[in-house]
Amino acid sequence: MYPVWEGIFIHSAMFVAIVSAFHVLVSHLTVAAAWFNLYLERRAVYENRPELYVYLKRSALGLLVFAYVFGALAGVGIWQTTTVANPRGISTLIHNFVLYWGSEWYMFLIDVVGIIAYYYTFGRVSPRTHLRLAWILALGGTGTLTLIVGILSFKLTPGLWFTTGESLNGFFNPTFWPQLLTRFFLMFTITAAWVMLIATSLPKGYFAREQIIRTAAAIGLGGLIIALGIWFLWFYPVLPDHAKTILRSPAIPPITFTVIVGGLIATFLGLLFALAMPRRQHPIIALGAMLVLFAAIFGAERTREVIRKPDIIAGYMSSNQLVFNDIPARGIQSEEEPLNETGMLGSLPFLPRPETISVGATAGLPDHQVMMGRVLVIQQCAACHSVSNQTAITIFDQRLALRSLAQLLERRKMTTAPKIEAYLQRIGAFPYMHPFVGTPEERAAMALYLEYFVQQQYAPQPQAQVRR
Amino acid sequence: MDIGDMLERMRDPLGAPFYPPALQVLLVVTWVLHIFFVTLALGSSACSIACFLRPTDYRLRLGRVAARLTPNAVGLGIVTGIAPLLFVQTIHDPLWYASNALTGFWSVSFIFVMMGGYGLAYLFYLKGSADGKLLWSAVASFVLLFFAGWVMHVLASVSIRPERWMEWYAPNGVIDTRGVVFHSWNIPRLTFLLPLQAGLSLAVVLTLFAWYFRRIEEDAPFMQWVARQGRLIGLVVSPLYTLAGLLWAATEGVEFGIGIPLGVALTSLGLALTSYFFFLKQPMQHAPRTLLVWFASLMTVGVVREVIRAVSLERFGYRVSEYPYIIDWGSILIFGVTTIVGVAVVTYLALVLYQSGGTKRDGSVSPRVEQFGSIATGMLGAWFAFFILVGLYTTFFLK
Repeated sequence: MYPVWEGIFIHSAMFVAIVSAFHVLVSHLTVAAAWFNLYLERRAVYENRPELYVYLKRSALGLLVFAYVFGALAGVGIWQTTTVANPRGISTLIHNFVLYWGSEWYMFLIDVVGIIAYYYTFGRVSPRTHLRLAWILALGGTGTLTLIVGILSFKLTPGLWFTTGESLNGFFNPTFWPQLLTRFFLMFTITAAWVMLIATSLPKGYFAREQIIRTAAAIGLGGLIIALGIWFLWFYPVLPDHAKTILRSPAIPPITFTVIVGGLIATFLGLLFALAMPRRQHPIIALGAMLVLFAAIFGAERTREVIRKPDIIAGYMSSNQLVFNDIPARGIQSEEEPLNETGMLGSLPFLPRPETISVGATAGLPDHQVMMGRVLVIQQCAACHSVSNQTAITIFDQRLALRSLAQLLERRKMTTAPKIEAYLQRIGAFPYMHPFVGTPEERAAMALYLEYFVQQQYAPQPQAQVRR
Repeated sequence: MDIGDMLERMRDPLGAPFYPPALQVLLVVTWVLHIFFVTLALGSSACSIACFLRPTDYRLRLGRVAARLTPNAVGLGIVTGIAPLLFVQTIHDPLWYASNALTGFWSVSFIFVMMGGYGLAYLFYLKGSADGKLLWSAVASFVLLFFAGWVMHVLASVSIRPERWMEWYAPNGVIDTRGVVFHSWNIPRLTFLLPLQAGLSLAVVLTLFAWYFRRIEEDAPFMQWVARQGRLIGLVVSPLYTLAGLLWAATEGVEFGIGIPLGVALTSLGLALTSYFFFLKQPMQHAPRTLLVWFASLMTVGVVREVIRAVSLERFGYRVSEYPYIIDWGSILIFGVTTIVGVAVVTYLALVLYQSGGTKRDGSVSPRVEQFGSIATGMLGAWFAFFILVGLYTTFFLK
């Protein structure tokens, strides 16, 4: 339906993952930091503790420079990366939720104008007025979180939206509340690392430093424990069965869980250390904690994205960007069924008719059938898999690619076109794979391209033998 | 499949959640805010570089102010850019998604380029602007920010030429999924929209800056000088703006068959601005009016951009007015209530910034603004109660 951007060296989906993980880290940090600052500023005002403003001002500058703008940039980065990686997926979200996103934009505007007002008015307005600004930042930030979680969780559990077609049903879906609360409490854990980074960079003689670190560590630990409690008691139980199956499948490599669990344990121990020995904290330790959290968030967010595989919107649109279910309430019909009759090529925009696909010298592929197969493989598989050398890099003889189809097929000994074609015919039997869409001729062409791709990677000869 | 069928097919089957022409109006209005801050960022960045390259007492002082303004303007440019991004995807989804995918590498790079530009602008403000050290960071920041503007220009330019998409995607019948080629651009349009509007946004804000600090007596000579510089920049740039507008009409306008009306509109706009700055004898006193004039001009440009897009698509029978839609009351309710709350809170924040800044030395906020702040903050708190009520209603009754 749209042109495909595979990515360059790095797969397009990995661009999304990297930018998203950074955005999650920064945006979560920002929201909870606003609450933490509010807590400290209340103490500064009501207990007459002006020394706390030293920390607050440093934190506000960090948030202004780093979190709000880099966070916002990464937010725009998610738009850009998802737009090029899966335009129809983001299109579904935008057409369902554009006005919810518009509402989030107001909250975000409050955040950004708010942090500018907050930082530049230290000492220029009365403490009560400044405290009000702190309240506005905390509430505005929580508003952004609340609104975005509804859209994010819709992708996994559209819920009653399937039957009513109402955006409200899609927004307040079965995993909305548990995901919102899990994120809300986990934010305080992330913020604890931020507080330590700011507090440890203050002069050693600053006497509120240890108290601030201890408070942040306690809040971070509390947030972590509550978030894990919500995950195990509420969030995981309401996950769809399909998602639970994927969680236990090879679609998620074991290293992902190692990174998540390891990151959580390291964070827990780090916070205990900060609670017990606030004097021993150092900016390097805080930076290390941020990196560990980034890795854990990267793993967790990737897992959240993968557990609805092969769909981009669970039960509605597959990663191939085609609608595969009817939504009568919105007058939508499956796009895939007719394509199994007519074939993909020439039936959708940007999928040229077979006769217009060239076998010029520039293409470098052996014949017209392989060229056709390439177009189809790119359309059906490239959203999740590396399907060409374009999206792979080699570092120290180690070839890095995202779920390379050449690698997967070779591992399964599916290295010839007939075997690959038979494999494609039953590909939908895997819980994390979508059935092939198109005609048998198109499936055969895909198999030929994949055979070429496998042999290009694993055989010494530059070209695969053409079988048909 | 002809181009018209292709565009129809690419529209999202869900349709828009409200009248598409209303969303088009929101697109133009929010774009005006966005382009104001974007061009202001470029203008203030150029101003700080120029001031530090040829320093005098006044220029150094102005250079520091401009260096401080740049990262904040970038931040506001980003935030205000999200709103038109939402609306363009809703009613122009075939154009936006196709142009981004065709230019995928640069579309993704945009954000890293912006991060670099913003980071360097802050580096210069925090570490260099006191004495003009690290001027390279200000120059590099300007180059990166301008390059980000170039990328967005290319995306817009690609988007309005759907008849060439397939040729760009599959040159000689071989599809190219790298997205590394800048497929289309129009230099007069780029010059009009970015560097020249950057100059004019800067000109307007300089007069406004002087007006804001007008009551501080010891700064009066400096503020008068700043306001005069603003008028001078406006006077120099607006004729160039007229010329670039004419060239834009002669190239892109002619390409889409609207060369004459576009030429008349853009030339009139440029000449009107030239006249305005020529007759602006007291730039400091009339700064708020100048800002209004500039916003009206940007609104005209926003409409011109939209007209070009509409005319381009009309060639293939594609019209925003025929975009399928439903009236989604849930969306409208949430957006409407949040708009009321958001406008109130942002207004309060702007008033606090305004009153605590430079008009009065004590920086206090008036009791009326404080009272308004209590109400606005209360509304923000009440928004959560509203949100939970809607959630409960949806969960238990909307089936």
